[in-house]
Amino acid sequence: MAASLLKVTISATRILNSTQRVPYVASLYNRRWKSAKALTYEQAVLNMPETKVTRLSNGVRVATEDSGIITSTVGLWIDAGSRYENAKNNGVAHFLEHMAFKGTKKRSQTDLELEIENMGGHLNAYTSREQTVYYAKCFAKDLPKAVEILADITQNSLLGDQEIERERGVILREMQEIETNLQEVVFDHLHAIAYQGTTLGQTILGPTENIKSITRNDLVEYINSHYKGPRIVLAAAGGVNHNELCSLAERHFGKMTAGYDGEIPILPQARFTGSELRIRDDLMPLAHVAIAVEGCGWQNPDNLALMVANTLIGSWDRSHGGGTNLPSQLAQHTVKLNLAHSFQSFNTCYSDTGLWGIYFVADRMMIDDFIYNVQHEWMRLCGGVREAEVERAKNLLMTNMLLQLDGSTPICEDIGRQMLCYDRRIPIDEMEIRLNAITADTLKEVCTKYIYDKCPAVVGIGPIEALTDYNRLRAGMYWLRT
Amino acid sequence: MAARLMSRVVRLKGQRSCKYAQRFLSSTKSEDAEITKVSLTQKLPGLPTPQYATASVHAYDTHVTTLDNGLRIASENKFGQFCTVGVLLESGSRFEAVYPSGIVHFVEKMSFGTTPSWSTKDQILQELEKVGGICDCQGSRDTLVYAASARSNGLDVVMNILSDVVLRPLYPDEQMEDARQAIKFEIEAMHMDPNPEHLLVEMIHAAAYRGNSLGLPRICPEENIPSITRPTLYSYMKGRHHPKNTVIAGVGIEHEKLIELTQKYFVTDKTPVWLAEGETWGQQEIEPRCVSQYTGGILQVEKDLSNVSLGPTPMPELAHVVFGLESCSHKDPDFIAFCVLNMMLGGGGSFSAGGPGKGMYTRLYLNVLNRYVWIESATAYNHAYDDSGLFCIHASAHPSKLRELVEVILREIVFTSSMVYQDELSRAKRQLQSMLMMNLEVRPVVFEDIGRQVLAGSARRTPQFYYDQIGNITERDIQRVASRMLKSKLSVAAYGSLSGLPAYEDMEAAILSKDGRMPSKQSFSLFRR
Repeated sequence: MAASLLKVTISATRILNSTQRVPYVASLYNRRWKSAKALTYEQAVLNMPETKVTRLSNGVRVATEDSGIITSTVGLWIDAGSRYENAKNNGVAHFLEHMAFKGTKKRSQTDLELEIENMGGHLNAYTSREQTVYYAKCFAKDLPKAVEILADITQNSLLGDQEIERERGVILREMQEIETNLQEVVFDHLHAIAYQGTTLGQTILGPTENIKSITRNDLVEYINSHYKGPRIVLAAAGGVNHNELCSLAERHFGKMTAGYDGEIPILPQARFTGSELRIRDDLMPLAHVAIAVEGCGWQNPDNLALMVANTLIGSWDRSHGGGTNLPSQLAQHTVKLNLAHSFQSFNTCYSDTGLWGIYFVADRMMIDDFIYNVQHEWMRLCGGVREAEVERAKNLLMTNMLLQLDGSTPICEDIGRQMLCYDRRIPIDEMEIRLNAITADTLKEVCTKYIYDKCPAVVGIGPIEALTDYNRLRAGMYWLRT
Repeated sequence: MAARLMSRVVRLKGQRSCKYAQRFLSSTKSEDAEITKVSLTQKLPGLPTPQYATASVHAYDTHVTTLDNGLRIASENKFGQFCTVGVLLESGSRFEAVYPSGIVHFVEKMSFGTTPSWSTKDQILQELEKVGGICDCQGSRDTLVYAASARSNGLDVVMNILSDVVLRPLYPDEQMEDARQAIKFEIEAMHMDPNPEHLLVEMIHAAAYRGNSLGLPRICPEENIPSITRPTLYSYMKGRHHPKNTVIAGVGIEHEKLIELTQKYFVTDKTPVWLAEGETWGQQEIEPRCVSQYTGGILQVEKDLSNVSLGPTPMPELAHVVFGLESCSHKDPDFIAFCVLNMMLGGGGSFSAGGPGKGMYTRLYLNVLNRYVWIESATAYNHAYDDSGLFCIHASAHPSKLRELVEVILREIVFTSSMVYQDELSRAKRQLQSMLMMNLEVRPVVFEDIGRQVLAGSARRTPQFYYDQIGNITERDIQRVASRMLKSKLSVAAYGSLSGLPAYEDMEAAILSKDGRMPSKQSFSLFRR
C-alpha cells in the first residue's frame, strides 16, 4: 500500500517540478494525509468545479456544476418509477413520460417540438424502475427557456384523450422494438423472477393490457402522488450559474407541493428469490443467459466492493480480440477455450437491493463450460483473490468513473442520480479514499456475504438445452474445501 | 527517496512535511475497515471539504509546432485533471491501392500489442492504469488514430507507450493469428447484425469511387485475411507512416512539454521498427499520394433478409438502398454549406428513440417518413475527405415497396436545388451549431478535431470560426451546392431482395430531370412519340 502510494507521489511530483504551474497542483488530489491515530485528512485540491446544492422551501433540490462552457444540460430527476406501480397501473410512469411531449396548457405538441428544434436543443426523457428523468441540452444562454419548458411539460401536461389513444400504439411499437433486443428481454425476465411477487419485478413498459387500458385518471393520480417537491432534483452541468438556476427553479417549480393530502406512498418492499426461467428456442443461433445473486442498495458501503468485484470479472466481446492477454481472467479462459461470444459482468442497484451477476452470449454447446468458469471466478472472489488483482480493478474502476465524467450530459446525469441515491454528490477525493480502503480481505468478506452459498436467479433464452441444471448451478455457489 | 520527495513538498507548502512522513506509518487495516462500513450517504468523518477550482472561461489557444523531420505537434490546454493525447497518421484503406486491402484493419486490430518495451498488451494496459489511463486505436478510410486519456501527470508514461506502439509494433505470429481470428469474427458479426449500416457505408464508397482510393474496402476482405503478413504490414508502414504524415495532438497539455516528450520518444530515443539498421525516420521517400476519382455507378448485393432477427421476435424484412452524389472535400469553401444541407435533410428511423431535437422537422421526416408510413428509415449523411466528399441518403422499406422508395428519395434529392425556406434553413444552421459545440464538450472529440485539422494541413480553426461560418450560410449557398452535387454521376448501393429495384439508367435520368421522376416505361418504346 505504502509502495503504491509512493509511486503515485513520485509521478505527481515530477510534473510539479517541471511545470511549476498552479493548475497541476490539482493532480495531487488523490493524496490523503492521515495521522497515526484518528482519521483526519488533509484538504484535497481538486481541479474541478464544486457541486453546489440548494434546497427550495418546498423540498425541490437544485444541484449544479458550472464548467463555464457555452452549452449545458439541465434536467429533472424524479424519485418515481415502475417500482411504485401496482399490477393494475404498471406502465403508467412510462406512459406519463411519453405524454409529457404531447402538449401542455400553454403550448401544443408542434409548438413544443419547434421551440426545441429551433433553438438547437434536445429534449429527452427516460423511465427506469426507480427514477423518471426529463432533461434538455441547449446553449447556456437558452437555459431559462429550457427550465421553463421542463417545468411546463411536467406540471401542465394536457394529457389529452386523443393523444393518449395515439400513444398506446407508439408504446406497443416500442415494446416490439425492445423485444428484438435480447439483452433487454433477458434482464426483464431476470427482474421478473428475481423479484417475483414484488413490484420491482414488473417491467417498465407494463403489460400489453395495461398499455391498452391506462386512463387519463391513472396518469393524473400518478403525478399527484409522486411528483412532489422533496422527490425532485433539478440538476445542471456545463455552462450554468447556480444562483440563476435557483431563482429559475423558485419561479417555475416553487408552486409544486411538498406534502400529501391523502395517503403517503411508501416504497414497496422488494424480495429476492433464487429461481430460474428457461425459454428454449433451438432455432435461435446463440444462447443468451443471465445469472445473478442479490447485491446491495445504492447507499450500502458494500456496494463499492461489489463494483470492484464487478470490474474484476470484467466484460469481453470476441470481435475485440486481445488474444490471451486480457486483464480479466475470465476473458483469458474464454478466449483460450472459445467459451462464449461475449460476456458482461453487471451490478444493477436499487435503493435497497441490487442484482450482481453476469450476462453472456454463447454457443449452445459451450454454456455449461462457460458457467463452470464463471463460478470458478466467483468462488475465487470469495476466497483466493490476489491483492494485485484488487488493486488493478480499483484503479480501473476509478479511472472509468473519472473519465466518464466528460461532457455536460454525463456530469448532469451523475449529479441527478447521486442526489436521488445519496442526497449528496460524493466528492471525487472521498470516492478515492473509500475505494483505496478496499483490500483483498474486504472483497473476500463482501463477496462471501453476497455470493457464497447463495441461490442465484437464472434466465436462459435460446438453444439452452445444455444450460446447467439449477441444482448443479446452485452447488457451484460454494466450495467444499478449506 | 522519501527525503527528496519531502523537500519538494516543503518547497510547495510550508509545514506539510511532518504529516507527510506520518502517512507512511499509518495506513492500518482497522482504519480501512472503518471506512468500508460508512454508508455512502454519509460524509466520511474527519474529511475536510475539498478545495474546488472555478472553471476558467477563457478559451485556450491551439499551438502547432513542426519538427525538423516534418512531424507536427498540436496541442491545447484545457481545464480539468485529465489529458487526452495521441498520434494521428494519414494512413487508411484509401492508401492501400498497391497493397492487399485490409492492412490498416490489421494494424488497428493489433494496436497496443507487443513492442520491444512491453511484451503484451496487458502490460501496456497495466502501465497506463497506473496513471489512470485508457487507450484506443481507430482506423478510418484516411486516418489512423492512436489515443490515450490519462491523468495529466501521466503524460510521460503515455508518450512513451504511444511512441512504442506507433513506431515499434513487433506483430509476433500469435498476435497475427489472433487478429485474423478477431477480424473473421467481426465480419461474421457484421453480416449477422440486423442493422447493415457498416456494410452499406462500405458499399456506397465502393460504388462511388470504383476500384480506387476511397472506394477500397476498409474492412479486410475475407480472402485477404490469411495472406496479410508481418512483412506486408511493415512495407506499407515504411511508405506511409512517415513523420510528414503524422501529427501528435494533445488536449489538457502544456505545449512545451509535449514538444519535449515528442522529441525524446519519437525522434531521439526510438526509430521505427520497419527501418533498417542505421536509418533515421523521415529520410525515406513518402509514397506518392493517390488522388480520389469519383466514378459513380451501382453496386447491388442480393441477399435474403427475410429472417434477420436473432431472437424469437421476428423483425420486418427490409431492402436497403443508399444514394450518393459527390459533395466536396472538407477543405472546400462549400464544405460548411454541405454540412448545413445534410442537417436540413436530417432524417432517421420511422421509429426511433429521442424526443424533440433529433431533427423531427428536417425534410426527410416531414416529406418522407411522416408522409409515407411504410418507409422504415431515411437518413442523410455527408462523408468529407481530404480531396473529395460523398453526400448520401440511406433508406429502407419492405422489398415490395422498393421502387416507390427509390422514387420518393430521388425526388427529395432533386428538390434540394429548388426552394429553400428561411425557417428550415435557420433551424438547420442552429442545430449544426449546437451539434458542433455539444460534441466539443468532450475532451477526446477536441483532441480528434485538433489532430485532424492539423493533419489536413491547415492551421487549427476554432469552434467559434465554424460557428460563425455556419451562421453566414444563405439559401443561395444551399441551392448552389445542391446543384453542384446534382451534376455528379449518381452512385447507388442496394442490399436485400432487389427484384423491385429500378434500372440504374432510370434512376440516373431521374436525378438529371427537373422533377426527380423516373421515366415511365412507355417513353422507351421506339415507335411512340
